[in-house]
Order: sequence, then C-alpha cells, then structure tokens
Amino acid sequence: MNNPYLPEIAIVKEIIQETHNIKTFRLVFKDPDKMEQCVFEPGQVGQLSVFGTGESTFVINSPPTQKEYLQFSVMRAGEVTTKLHSLKVGDQIGVRAPLGNCFPYEAMKGKDIIIVGGGIGMAPLRTLLLYLLDNRQDYGEIKVIYGARSPEDLCFTYEFEQWRQKGADLVLTVDKEFPGWTERVGFVPAVLAEEAPAPMNRVAITCGPPIMIKFVLKGLKELDFADEQIITTLEKRMKCGIGLCGRCNIGTKYVCVDGPVFTQAELNELPAEL
Amino acid sequence: MKYVAELKAKIREKLPELDVVIGWKQGFDPVHASPAFMTTPEEIEQLVVNPLCVQNLATYLPGLKGKKVGIVARECDTRSIGELLQESLIEREELTVFSVKCPGAVDLVKLRQQVGDLGRVRSISFDGPRVTVETPDESSSLDLGELLPGKCRVMAYDEPVLADFRFVDPDQDTVCREEADTDLVALEQMDLDERFAYWRGHLDRCIRCYACRNVCPMCVCQDQCIADTRDPHWLSAETDVRQKWMFQLIHAMHLAGRCTECGECERACPMDIPILTIRRKLNREIHELFGYTSGMDVDAVPPLLTFQPEEKSITEREW
Amino acid sequence: MVMGDLKFCPKEGLSRWVEELSREHTVLVPQQAGDAVEFLPFAEGSELSLDRQPTAPPKKSVFPQTETLMRFEYQKDPEHPDRQTLQIKETLPGKEKTVILGCRPCGARGFSVFDPVFGQGEYLDPYYQARREHTVFVSLACRHPENTCFCNWVGGGPADSAGSDVLMLPAGGGYVLRPVTDQGRQIVEVGGFEDASPEQQTEADRLAEEAAENLSPAPELEEVPDKLFELFENLDFWELMAAKCISCGACTYLCPTCYCFNISDEYSGLQGKRIRTWDNCMSNLFTHEASGHNPRPTKAQRLRNRVGHKFSYYPKLHEQVFACCGCGRCIKSCPMSVDIREIVLSAKEYADE
Repeated sequence: MNNPYLPEIAIVKEIIQETHNIKTFRLVFKDPDKMEQCVFEPGQVGQLSVFGTGESTFVINSPPTQKEYLQFSVMRAGEVTTKLHSLKVGDQIGVRAPLGNCFPYEAMKGKDIIIVGGGIGMAPLRTLLLYLLDNRQDYGEIKVIYGARSPEDLCFTYEFEQWRQKGADLVLTVDKEFPGWTERVGFVPAVLAEEAPAPMNRVAITCGPPIMIKFVLKGLKELDFADEQIITTLEKRMKCGIGLCGRCNIGTKYVCVDGPVFTQAELNELPAEL
Repeated sequence: MKYVAELKAKIREKLPELDVVIGWKQGFDPVHASPAFMTTPEEIEQLVVNPLCVQNLATYLPGLKGKKVGIVARECDTRSIGELLQESLIEREELTVFSVKCPGAVDLVKLRQQVGDLGRVRSISFDGPRVTVETPDESSSLDLGELLPGKCRVMAYDEPVLADFRFVDPDQDTVCREEADTDLVALEQMDLDERFAYWRGHLDRCIRCYACRNVCPMCVCQDQCIADTRDPHWLSAETDVRQKWMFQLIHAMHLAGRCTECGECERACPMDIPILTIRRKLNREIHELFGYTSGMDVDAVPPLLTFQPEEKSITEREW
Repeated sequence: MVMGDLKFCPKEGLSRWVEELSREHTVLVPQQAGDAVEFLPFAEGSELSLDRQPTAPPKKSVFPQTETLMRFEYQKDPEHPDRQTLQIKETLPGKEKTVILGCRPCGARGFSVFDPVFGQGEYLDPYYQARREHTVFVSLACRHPENTCFCNWVGGGPADSAGSDVLMLPAGGGYVLRPVTDQGRQIVEVGGFEDASPEQQTEADRLAEEAAENLSPAPELEEVPDKLFELFENLDFWELMAAKCISCGACTYLCPTCYCFNISDEYSGLQGKRIRTWDNCMSNLFTHEASGHNPRPTKAQRLRNRVGHKFSYYPKLHEQVFACCGCGRCIKSCPMSVDIREIVLSAKEYADE
C-alpha cells in the first residue's frame, strides 16, 4: 500500500535569498525517476520535512511546465521555517507533493486575468502566473498588481523583466516612498482601485496578508466582480495534508484536500472561520 | 442548606451590578452538580448548595478578569481566591464573594466504591451526616464523613479567607477536619523503588488530557505551558510514563507554595490518578522552610515570589 | 442466523476462553487499575472487570495514542563532512492479531466512525488499516444503561453489533455468544462451547430488550446538522454552551470516535522518529498558526467545532452518520459536567425559536 505519510528525499539544489526573511528553495528528488513522475498543477501544495523539527505546507511555486526542480518560497515564522532557513545547498529534506487542489486554469481560458498579491502571498500566485505566461495565447489581458511594505520586501525581483517580456502587465507598489523607487506607491487595495479592472470576462486571483485580502475583496466588490470571479488560496495550520488529522477544516471543507484554492462564492457557503 | 433562599435573594439584589455570578446547579444526573453562570433571575432560581457542589469555581476567575464577577465560594475555595489576589491574577474590586458555610463534599470515587457505578444512581439525599443513595438494586445509607475527599480531612476551615457576604445555617458545624495526612505519610514511608513503582503504576494510565492543569485555579501559564511547546522542547509528545511523570513534577514544582490544595487536579482526573499528593508534599516542604501556607492571607507575599538575602530556615553554607 | 451459530459460555468458562485466546493473540480485557477500569493485556491471573463501563474505550488498540510513523537518520557524508545524507524507514505495525474482549457495543461501534475517514477516502491510512484488520472485537451487551448512556440517539443500542465481531449477551448465568463476522466465528470456535439452548437465547433477547427499554427515549435529531450550521455565527450561543468548559482533553481523549491527531518529530542526536499522537481540538494550540493567527482562539469557537464536527460536518460528509457513539464518557468524565446532549438539544431548540 502506498503510504501517504512517507516523504520522498529531496536535495536542495539552489537557495535564493528573496528578502530579509524569505528564502526560495529549489529542490530535486534524490531519485531521478521521482522527478520525472512528479506531475502537479498550478496552486497545489507540498509538505516540506526537516526531520527532527517537523513538516510544514507550502505552495509549489514553480510552474508545472518547468520539470527540473520544485520551487518553494518560505517566510521565516515558526520552528520549521526557521530550520528551513538554515539549510545549505546539498542538504537533504523530505517532500510530500503534490497535495491539494489547483487554480482553475482551464476555466480561466479566454478570459482576462487580474492577479493581486501582497508580500509572501505572491509565491502561490507565481506558479499560476508562469503557467499563464507559458500558455499566453490561451488567455486575454494578464495584469498583476504586486505590493510589499518596501522595495526590499518584494520577492522575485530578478524575474520582473521576464514577466513583462512574456506579456504580463506588472504593476508594482510599495507602502510609502523610498529613495530610488520609481514604481507605484500605496497599499495594494488602493492601487487596485486606481487600476480599476473591469469585471467583464475577467477572473481575479488574490493572495496576501489577511488584512490586504479583506480590503482587496472589498475593492473587487466595488468594481462589481461577482463572487464566482474571485479566487483565493488559503493557509491553515496543517499536519497530515491528506484530510485526516482534522485541524484545517472550515465546516465540512478541509483546506488541505478541498483547497487551498477556493472561489469567494465557495467560501460564502462555508462558516466564517478563516 | 437553609441559607440558600437568603443567598439567592442576595445574589438577585447584587446581580444588576455584576456581569455574572458563578455558582452551582444540578448537573446531568442526581450525583453531579455543574458550575452555573448566572445572569438572569431565572438562573439564580436554579442555584443549589449541597455536598455534590464539588467544583472550585475560583478556577474561572482569571479568565473573567475585566468583568464584574460574583462567586459562590466555600471556605476552602476562598483560599484559592486569596492566592489569586496575592499574585495579582485577579482584582478585588471586580469581585463579589458570596461565602457559604461548606455543607461537606462527596468524593465521587469514594461514592462509587460504596454503591457501584454512579451512572445507575436514581437519587441521593442528605440529612445531616447521613447520605441516602438509591439505585435500581438497593438503597444505601452512608456516612458523609466516609465520603469526604482527602483534602477535607487534612485541613479544617471554619471561616473564609475573604467574603463580602457570609451565609451560615445556625446549627451548622464545620465538616472538614484536620487529621494526619495518611496518604502522604504512607508514600513518604515507601523506599525510593517502591515509591517509583507506585507512581509508574498510576501514571501509566494518564492520557495526557491535562484536565489536572486546566482545572487548576493557580495554573496560569495557559497556552504557554511547557507541556505543549516545542521551543523549548522539554517534553516529547509521546505517551510514555516518563513524559507524564515529568509533567506532573513540573506542575507540582510550579505550584510549590502556591497550590491551595483544593484538590481539583485529582478530582478532575478522568483516570482517577491520586496526583494531589505530589502537590501536598511540595507544600509541606514550603511550610517547613518558610512557615507559610498559601492563600490564607491576601496581603502576604508568597515566599517563592520574593526572596530574603538570608532565609531563616535555609543554611546552604552551614552558617 | 445459521442454526448452531449461537454458543453459550458459562460465566466460569469465560476466563478459560480468554486464556485459550491469549495463547495466539494479545487479548485486551477490562481490568481494574487503581480506581479506573482499563483495557490491559490479559496475563495469567488477570481479573476481568465487566461490571462497569471501562473508563477509557478500546480506541488505543487500533489507534494508539502514540504511533511511530517512520524513523529517520542523518548520516555524515565522509566526502563532505559538512553534509549529511538522510534515510527514512517506514514503521508499519506488525500483523499479530489482537482480541478486545469485554468492550461495550458503543466502544466497538466507534471504529465505524473512523473507517470512512482512514480506510475509504482518497488517502488510505496504512497504520490504521493494518491494526483494524488484525483486531477482533468481542463486545459485551449492556444490561444496565447508565444515566449518561445515549447510544440510542445515534443509531446504537445496548446489543448493537455494528463494529463488533462477536456479541456476548448476558443470559442464564453466562453469555450467549453471537458471532457477527467470520473472524468472530473463528474466535468463538476456539472456546469449544456448546450450542446455546432456545431458553438461553430467549433470555438473552429479553434482557437486551429490557436494557433498550431502560434507555431514555431518543429525540429526533435529523435536522441537527443543518441547525448547527445555521447557529455557527451565533457566538453568544456558543459562549453560553462553553462557559463552564475548561478546554482540557478529557472528552476528546476518552471519546471512541475522536480521531484528530498531531504529527511531530522526536529525535536525539542524528536519529529520531516521526510520531502521530492523539490531539485535542479543545486546545488553543490545535489551530494556532506560526504567524500567530488562530482561526479558533476561544473555547467557544473550539467547542463549536467539536460539536459541529460530530453532529454536523461529519454527518454531512458521511451519509448522515453522527461522529458519536453515545457512550457518555465525555459527559461523565468532564470535570465540569459539560453535557453534549444538552448542547445538541439546545442547538435544536434554539433554531426552532
């Protein structure tokens, strides 16, 4: 029987220091066949194990179209993330992936897209963005609003040019003026209001700190987005990742298997327990 | 108790000034009383005071800080309130103490030893020291003195530590008494191996539910408890006797000279493990060293919450 | 029922049967331990304690409080002293058979709540399945329901056979043994018992019926899952229900149907193990996130989830079955006498108003 608790061993291939407290890890399975067999969809998550400390859940933020490694971005917050941050290239960790559901990228075909991300919340959105850009012809306008507290808190800065070249309309913002900063200034929800994307034939996908999400949702409502057009990806304390251990539920839904991706319309059906 | 009508009247009178009054009401069956959180006159009507009212309601007080709370308390319960005040864990101004003369208490484990499964008791009644218990099979007449929890046999309280209102029946005697702590003495007389085997045996059935910790009025670390944290990682999540024993020792040490021996830890234990003895032992040590008894004087500073450059009873350098 | 299937075990024959079974199996029987009654391995001279409902159900036999999921080891790489290689070793339970004898029907029924979660979903739990497959339940039908018993509310009964392999029905100074499964039939065969006489069978049925009649009548609970859902945002209601709760784990850990668990690593030096342990949804830390955020920061919210899981979410996901077997342990073991029946009925009536 396949043991769903058993991680595969993976080797840290590359580490990118994104911000003062966020690192990106590129991992390859020790067994090359596993790398080959690892098929996932944008938005799915993985459980990273630092043995002796524990396991935590992160969205796989490399696109499915990229087969050389799995990428995870980790903000240092608790015990496991602190341990992950101490890893060096060549170290071995455990990976259980893919788990959970994915962004409805098929249903999004032919539509305009607005992606709204804040801070580390850009990580789960990156996998979707890269997938959309790799299949650029299937989608309409792709606008990305990405904000952080300061220019130093933005992740993936080294890729911004590439995203633009591949056809993303990237709007960057930071909370206040910084020397040398030439892009937008202001909170993400305010920038969203300025950009005012029309809801017609458009899907909005958002992820970020809870307070940002709250005001982004309010802003999208004001722009007349319907709840079915708004998609988000949730975070909960998880242990098993396979719908058994019983802590990540919101009513009848388990974020680890029924999520992490939900439309606002789906969330409306659930008890308010985010 | 005859004073219950008077007590209800007083609570009714005071209720408008208070957010809630905590007392007891009849629980889910004849032998169980349950804490009652009274906010309406109808709820006050349900108040009962009898030997089945065993919960020390002081345990709820730190969680209700910031609210105006009334509490119905037996003499021994006021000792816990006293200790909470000493440690500034609650505010006197927020508190109204309805002190009742204790009608005695029933240790349900002892009752079960006498009448069998408590789930079959159809009725229980009290007449002075007589307790009459009916099950479908038989009617038993028992002596309340024999059913008292251990804690009521080693310390007698005639008066409360503090009270705003006091309720006593004219002919009422103090039920608790001060006898030798035979349980503790028996343990102290065991040699180390015997004692270790004793605790191993009992703690083996601990399920780590932490009812003992959560019910303890003096246990205030709450969500920061060393038993649950992984940083520092003092206890593992495993369920071997070592972890359980370690927790009990940490708990007891943390309560040394603070524990008011209300016995809630032992009463709450669903596996009936006699854990109060460990806390009593630590309290005896503190008493010997500092001549101090927790919770009896609201103005006193607990000895382990302060220090003297030279302690009278501690001669660490043989001076 | 096939004729001759029902056997009779005289009271004095019971320990011989258990002894016989213990030659080839681990047999867990209720035994007095201090003032509690626990399922402990039968050994020569063990005394069975069958008069009281065991303090804890037989849950740990199939779902141990600590289960080692895997062992891990880091090894220094001699070529690169600063580098370590990792090895993971799966640790599945062995195949030895365990017999639980003398549990109550509700204790065995508890696993029928586990089964759809651990053995029938998208992900199968190999640890649970291995133990479940190799455990046989011989349940003792109840003669005297307790004040806290409410198995009849949730589909059970004093002689309910769901989840059991053999049912022991008290009769004629002994027990009529009714095999429920093939495994159960094999276990009964070991005893070499005589067939139960028609009189014994009649008496067994009569006593079972009497016991069922002694339970308080079951209320209609069909609408409860929806009503609890509707009450979700009424935090005043849940604060009232949770006022006396002290957020301990007595109810959860003694519950035959509570299955929530934690996974953690324990290690020393370069080696260690990943373990699964029972977890308590009433604890603040259960859902506490590393960021500091907690979706259920108060005991009212946690109790809401606990009762919601049992009487709303689980039945909505699993064919209207409640995640409760009505054993009443959460009620009688609660230090503060929180009564889940009262909460369920209050919810039902509250929504009615």
